Amino acid sequence: MVTLYRPGSSLWHLLATGRKALVLAALVLAISLLPQAWGRPTATIPAALCLACYAVPGIGLRVLLGQLVAMRWILIVTAVGQLIFLGPGPALVNTTRIAALISIAALLALTTRTTDLLDAMERGLSPLSRLRIDPQRVALLLAVTLNTVPALTRAAGQVREAQRARSARPSLRRFAVPFLILALKHADELGEALTARGVR
Amino acid sequence: MNGIVLEDASVRLGEVEALRDVSLTLDARTTAVLGDNGSGKSTLARLVGGLLPASSGTVEVLGLDPRRQAAELRRRVAIVFSNPDAQIVMPTVAEDVAFSLRGDRLRRAERAERVTAALERFGLSDLADRSSHDLSGGQKQLLALCGAFVRSPELVIADEPTAYLDARNARHVADHLLAEGAHRLLLVTHDLALARRCESAVYVAEGRVAAVGASAEVIAAYEESLRW
Ligand SMILES: Nc1ncnc2c1ncn2[C@@H]1O[C@H](COP(=O)(O)OP(=O)(O)O)[C@@H](O)[C@H]1O
Ligand SMILES: [Mg+2]
Repeated sequence: MVTLYRPGSSLWHLLATGRKALVLAALVLAISLLPQAWGRPTATIPAALCLACYAVPGIGLRVLLGQLVAMRWILIVTAVGQLIFLGPGPALVNTTRIAALISIAALLALTTRTTDLLDAMERGLSPLSRLRIDPQRVALLLAVTLNTVPALTRAAGQVREAQRARSARPSLRRFAVPFLILALKHADELGEALTARGVR
Repeated sequence: MNGIVLEDASVRLGEVEALRDVSLTLDARTTAVLGDNGSGKSTLARLVGGLLPASSGTVEVLGLDPRRQAAELRRRVAIVFSNPDAQIVMPTVAEDVAFSLRGDRLRRAERAERVTAALERFGLSDLADRSSHDLSGGQKQLLALCGAFVRSPELVIADEPTAYLDARNARHVADHLLAEGAHRLLLVTHDLALARRCESAVYVAEGRVAAVGASAEVIAAYEESLRW
């Protein structure tokens, strides 16, 4: 979940960001529109598309495997839920479809530098400027949000460690208050650093 | 041209008057800022860096008014903070450095060229594609410096840039900050050996300037105040 981008020179890496986003969005849309009533093809078509997307030279199925492992909890929860309410057939079909969907969407982050994503977003969002929304700010906000995850993960670790050092029993409240303070302090410092680096 | 000129500058932070009627003229290339915790050093650094307004008095930095000419000031003044984690904005090292140039409307090739040169200068070339969050503390602070210097600032403000570092990394960061170059330096530090390497120094106590002048003399005055 931390840094998704993997440097490389696969077909996906070489495709221009805007076009890549469109292609992947079209695939995701197509997969989510496959009718449930088709039965097995509703699972095999997405699975085949997903395999084809990852099988290009320079990415490979190992990376796909890594993605699936990373999203195992989402898949398990989905599978169990569907199993209980819909039975084994639909559960298998839907879980496969969701796994393919997320994996294909993840290709964008996996093969695009944040900088390029920012540039493409600024261009893609530029119609928003007519609504007095600054596309640069929206794109930057998204990038910074993504990058705050590792820092906050670390802060959470620090809080838990400090509590263990004082052998306090873990409790949500005892965790939440110091974590919130650290998070706010981080936001403050990051805001200043952004200003200092020329973000208005 | 004067570097930094303050006239009767005060800064109010909520209930606290963090700086009180400070008048200063700093012309040396490198100036250290000394003082106890809570004396107002960071407030002074922020005021000069245009991150805080003066509640009264006037401030001039490189001939600019930091509030009214903020955009121009941002282009010419860089700021480095203590906490390396809070200065990283982009997921990889090279992208983080490039982030500092986003506003400058450079051509892609020129941007890349400047980033490469800056990475080289700070010994980060081999880490260019590494995740910036996975660097060591020392490497992160070098990355923060790199992000500051890539814009070729005329003035670098550093607020305890070595506070979180071990002796070796602190030395490394200090060497880069104090290296001969076109930039002036305003360096807040508790490390008196580091302060000694600056030409001049300011000693801040309770929001006022207690001493200013050649670094050796100001450090002596500060050490004198520690005696009892
Ligand atoms: N955001 C703030 N709000 C209110 N008071 C503050 C704030 N930041 C700092 N102060 C107070 O201002 C004074 C000077 O702080 P600072 O400049 O950070 O000191 P130093 O950097 O020398 O340790 C201190 O008394 C501090 O408690
Ligand atoms: Mg301080």
